Amino acid sequence: MAFPGFLLALFLLSCLAASCCGVTFSSLQDTLIVTASPQPGQVLKAGEDKITVTWALNTSFPAGIDSAYGTIKVKLCFAPISQQDRAWRKTVDNLKKDKTCLHKIVAKPYSTSNNTFTWTVQRDVPTATYFIRAYACNSADEEVAYGQTTDSHKTTNLFEVQAISGRHVSLDIASVCFSAFSILSLFGFFFLEKRKAKASQTK
Amino acid sequence: MADIEGSPGSSMHGVTGREPVLAFSVASSTVPTDTTAKFDLPVDSEHKAKKFKLFSLANPHMRTFHLSWISFFTCFVSTFAAAPLVPIIRDNLNLTKSDIGNAGVASVSGSIFSRLVMGAVCDLLGPRYGCAFLIMMSAPTVFCMSFVSSAGGYLAVRFMIGFSLATFVSCQYWMSTMFNTKIIGLVNGTAAGWGNMGGGATQLIMPLLYDIIRRTGSTPFTAWRIAFFIPGWLHVIMGILVMTLGQDLPDGNLSALQKKGEVAKDKFGKVLLYAVTNYRTWIFVLLYGYSMGVELSTDNVIAEYFYDRFDLKLHTAGTIAATFGMANIVARPFGGFASDYSARKFGMRGRLWTLWILQTLGGTFCLLLGRANSLPLAVTFMIIFSVGAQAACGATFGIIPFISRRSLGVISGMTGAGGNFGSGLTQLLFFTSSKYSTATGLSYMGIMIIACTLPVTLVHFPQWGSMFLPPTKDADKASEEHYYSSEYTEEEKKKGMHHNSLKFAETSRSERGSRVVSAPTPPNSTPNHV
Repeated sequence: MAFPGFLLALFLLSCLAASCCGVTFSSLQDTLIVTASPQPGQVLKAGEDKITVTWALNTSFPAGIDSAYGTIKVKLCFAPISQQDRAWRKTVDNLKKDKTCLHKIVAKPYSTSNNTFTWTVQRDVPTATYFIRAYACNSADEEVAYGQTTDSHKTTNLFEVQAISGRHVSLDIASVCFSAFSILSLFGFFFLEKRKAKASQTK
Repeated sequence: MADIEGSPGSSMHGVTGREPVLAFSVASSTVPTDTTAKFDLPVDSEHKAKKFKLFSLANPHMRTFHLSWISFFTCFVSTFAAAPLVPIIRDNLNLTKSDIGNAGVASVSGSIFSRLVMGAVCDLLGPRYGCAFLIMMSAPTVFCMSFVSSAGGYLAVRFMIGFSLATFVSCQYWMSTMFNTKIIGLVNGTAAGWGNMGGGATQLIMPLLYDIIRRTGSTPFTAWRIAFFIPGWLHVIMGILVMTLGQDLPDGNLSALQKKGEVAKDKFGKVLLYAVTNYRTWIFVLLYGYSMGVELSTDNVIAEYFYDRFDLKLHTAGTIAATFGMANIVARPFGGFASDYSARKFGMRGRLWTLWILQTLGGTFCLLLGRANSLPLAVTFMIIFSVGAQAACGATFGIIPFISRRSLGVISGMTGAGGNFGSGLTQLLFFTSSKYSTATGLSYMGIMIIACTLPVTLVHFPQWGSMFLPPTKDADKASEEHYYSSEYTEEEKKKGMHHNSLKFAETSRSERGSRVVSAPTPPNSTPNHV
């Protein structure tokens, strides 16, 4: 009796782990108006340049729609062109599995006014084309609404970030030094031994 | 009868079918001990060790063993060091899936050629300098990772680092100068398996180093570059240790090997001909491409796969990926053992079935791995896949010594190259284009493993049969002597060149399985002078 029970448990476990419940993006309403400082096509430098994000509720929606909004999460999201050939940035409807917006800008409690934040582009942001999206989350930390700086096809108002190279002059110098040491000690040993062998032969 | 050092296939001479894979020593009655020699281990007349004492660093034999396998291990670490860090590198260098896949192909392709050249280098300079040269000249290529800033640079550096996998050849060659032929099978198998473990260890080491370096305050895109310095230093340290602590021969260094002007007893052209015209060679080249080859491919993709599919942290994905490669410590010797064990009762047929079962099992679980949606299932399937594939590698080399006696060295080399070629091919087919997700790629790879293992059913030995067919009814052809001496022309037989093969044929009779006792000794077999 234990074995079928174990199989059932394993089956349930794998079902659960697979894809459970999850808020889907298509179920969210576009109720927030989000604007950001970068101009369309502008190239920002990671680690140096700043982005100022402003968000507000779209007043054309009926009042009270924002009653459930607890926190606003603002994220940096990949434009479709930067998702091509890169399955690790894929857009998926189930928000738990969605990889469109991997970089968090800020999370702030929802308020009806004065919603703005200035963010220095972090140094681990890769070179890509981006837009900005804000999610409104309820008290259970589930997304209930969103707003983004681009249109629904994610084609307008996109900007770019130029990442840091990660290279440093000190690293380059260290690299050259160790490589030289390797080659020199190899040939040094080799010729030293050859000379010793010759010397012992002539003795 | 001493073989000329360096003649084709000489490193595997003496490997018969009879020594059990787990033989730790040769009985003094079979090989006479040289009692005048003052070594830690009992040695034969050439001062090669007859005993394999694992936990000893005694000069020169065991010290050579440890220097040799650790050097090979280091090269595996650096060749696959990029794999667990790909999630960081792909963001730094803006790589696409095809960039990553192509770099993976490049990392295993270089050694196809470098392994062929390494044999000649060992002949010229000896295995000590062969190993040291390779490992110290590939150290700069590892340090070069700090300069990489584009997909092209990344591919080029991974290609160059991949050349260092030729330490496999220097490792096996060096063992053969230090250990008696009767235990060389075990020694080489252990060294190869433990070296391969480097592909697993690196998946643990590199994310750990990356984490530590990040904690000291480095940004991600710099931290991974610094992490690469550690494999680079390992190269330099091992190179220096090999040069200072190692020696080419039990009695000393290079001079004895410099028998310039001494031509190898056998002609390389002939040896190559008999390797290439034996259809079994090609079947095993294909098969090894789908046991060793898929192991190398998986080393390259598995960490990234777990990171992306199951949203794990980098070092968690690395730990899981490491268990794949580390299984080599037992899986590969187990395959050899299983091959020997099945041969005791069923002979060569048992060996062939064992290989087919292990490799197909590996392929099935590779297929299931790609389909697994939950983490515990995926890890379970991955472990069974790794054991299947790596045991199949061990079982392959349980059969290779029997394909040919004359061309054994070349066939071993070709099989090894087939492994790398298979790896490059599967990475190119399934892990480079965006047509398939990595999960689908793994499943297709599993199907291809199962399909490409089927040709083992075609391997037929006239004297032993095949998986389904019995040995041939023709009494003349159904003898081991006939099979092994058919590699020599009548002229060569007159010169007595086939005598070693005849000796081997006699010992290989064990491959008849439990029928050995009843097998009559055919006429015209062992010559009366040896």
